[in-house]
Amino acid sequence: MYALVDANSFYCSVERSFNPSLEGKAVIVLSNRDGNVVARSDEAKKLGIKMGQPFFELKELREQHEIAVFSSNYTLYGDISSRFMSLLCRFVEDVEVYSIDEAFLHVDGYDSIYPSYEGLGKSIKETVAKRLRIPVCVGVGPTKTLAKLANKLAKQRPELGGVCVLDTPEVIDKALATFPVGDLWGVGSKSAAKLKKNDIDTAAQLRDVPDDWIRQIMTVNGLRLVHELRGFPCKLLEVSAPPKKSICTEPGFGRLVPDLNTITDALTTHLTRVCEKLRKQDSLCSAVVVSLHTKRYRKIPANGLPALQYHNHLTVVLPHPTNSTPELLKYAESGLKAIFKFGYNYQKVGIMLIGLVPSDYRQKGIFAEGPNEKLLTLATVVDKLNYRYGQDKLRLASQMYNPDWPMKQEYLSKCYTTRWKDILEAH
Amino acid sequence: MIDKIDPIPPENITRVDATSRPLLPLYSFVVQAGFASPAESHIERRLNLQDLCVNDTDCTYFVKAVGESMIGDYIFPSSILVVDSSVAVESGSVIVAWVNGECCVKRFVRQGKIIMLESSNEKYLPIYVHIGRDQFRVLGVVTFIVSKPPRYVRPC
Repeated sequence: MYALVDANSFYCSVERSFNPSLEGKAVIVLSNRDGNVVARSDEAKKLGIKMGQPFFELKELREQHEIAVFSSNYTLYGDISSRFMSLLCRFVEDVEVYSIDEAFLHVDGYDSIYPSYEGLGKSIKETVAKRLRIPVCVGVGPTKTLAKLANKLAKQRPELGGVCVLDTPEVIDKALATFPVGDLWGVGSKSAAKLKKNDIDTAAQLRDVPDDWIRQIMTVNGLRLVHELRGFPCKLLEVSAPPKKSICTEPGFGRLVPDLNTITDALTTHLTRVCEKLRKQDSLCSAVVVSLHTKRYRKIPANGLPALQYHNHLTVVLPHPTNSTPELLKYAESGLKAIFKFGYNYQKVGIMLIGLVPSDYRQKGIFAEGPNEKLLTLATVVDKLNYRYGQDKLRLASQMYNPDWPMKQEYLSKCYTTRWKDILEAH
Repeated sequence: MIDKIDPIPPENITRVDATSRPLLPLYSFVVQAGFASPAESHIERRLNLQDLCVNDTDCTYFVKAVGESMIGDYIFPSSILVVDSSVAVESGSVIVAWVNGECCVKRFVRQGKIIMLESSNEKYLPIYVHIGRDQFRVLGVVTFIVSKPPRYVRPC
């Protein structure tokens, strides 16, 4: 049996957990740069706010209703997420972290410790509520797909108390009979439309289709889904996630930029961020990919003609793996110079670090020296200082301070659990 | 006289690809020829304040105290409180909680249907919380207090 534990509108719940006066009020969390809505509390959903809706469209609604708005504070969400996952690991041995706010648990046999699966679910729910002040729902089923389905039911039906267990064939039959195929895990809007065309509306109908037919319509993934609905596990638990093979970032400038110096400054800023990530996961990278884009589909405002386009990217292979920002910048900058073409208005410059290897990897070539150990040590010192005194307090000279494209975060909450100056105050 | 060549089992034959030849480090470690430090087998981890103050890292929060309402419990302005949300709240525990959105550190006393949040400084009045009426959320129980020593002023 599998269980899926999923936090209810996680980002909003985290904001509430450090600010309980928001309980019962509409809360929304915005994407990077405060562009779109990425999370909504139930109250915000009731006001008709859509997922991904642009923030500026909500101006009128905000005048009529009280809506608490937050920029996404990924530092805080990340920390609470890791506490959440670590709490789950206390209940069962095998936990697959599926996303920032949900995890699959392998729960076979645990129903004897906690009188029933229901008891286990309730216990998880209560523990997380007490220790993290975050509401969660638990779905249990014989396969991951059915656990996901059970979780959805637990969210939709408040009378279940946040825990839904699909253990006997009768209960599963009943649940599948009314469950729309479009809401199933792994069924996108395209597949849903295809199934609808063939008069398949509920999960129960999908479960009973012939194998050959579904393989034709939805390939082998569809077949797996049907088997999972029948109660045969096809998707297994992936407990240990492999370390990241590449790290990339490609935020836009926020306006169009034609000149190389400004773009180089942006590149330095992006590179500083990805290098911090690289060092955090304790890796070195062996190549950088620099890319440059004009704005796609842009029309010249004066006459409406499509603007001239230019995209290019270049992979620079390093002589030896490294994680030092100045060293990487040297290569990234020369890569950028090579692909930069004069006379275009650029929208974004991207950087990707690839060929990541563990940081203890040292391979001396005959013609190339290994990485400069002093620079590697320096990088960790810079990270420590910036961690203590704030991002970018110590930076490269070519990194423009307070540039025009910082992450716009007007409604940011505090990092209550990761920065000393941000901790809660009690009177 | 050898009249037969030993057959090589097929699983021992591998195709060599010259383009992806793995490089081997020439010297990957140094061999110490000297005398090993006698202290080496007695190394222990250095003391760490976290081990002393924090019982459960996943359930621990740090909170800064403001004001003098809890001076009787050695909580001074800008003391850092170590708060554990996994510890059960009992009558008499010093807790950090939100009352109607206001975050406070107080002594928790239960009196029937009313919760009393007492200060340990006579100048401050207790807060009465009516369950079901006032909004009341507990962060956790204060398990440790970290403070700087007071600045000594020599009486003149």
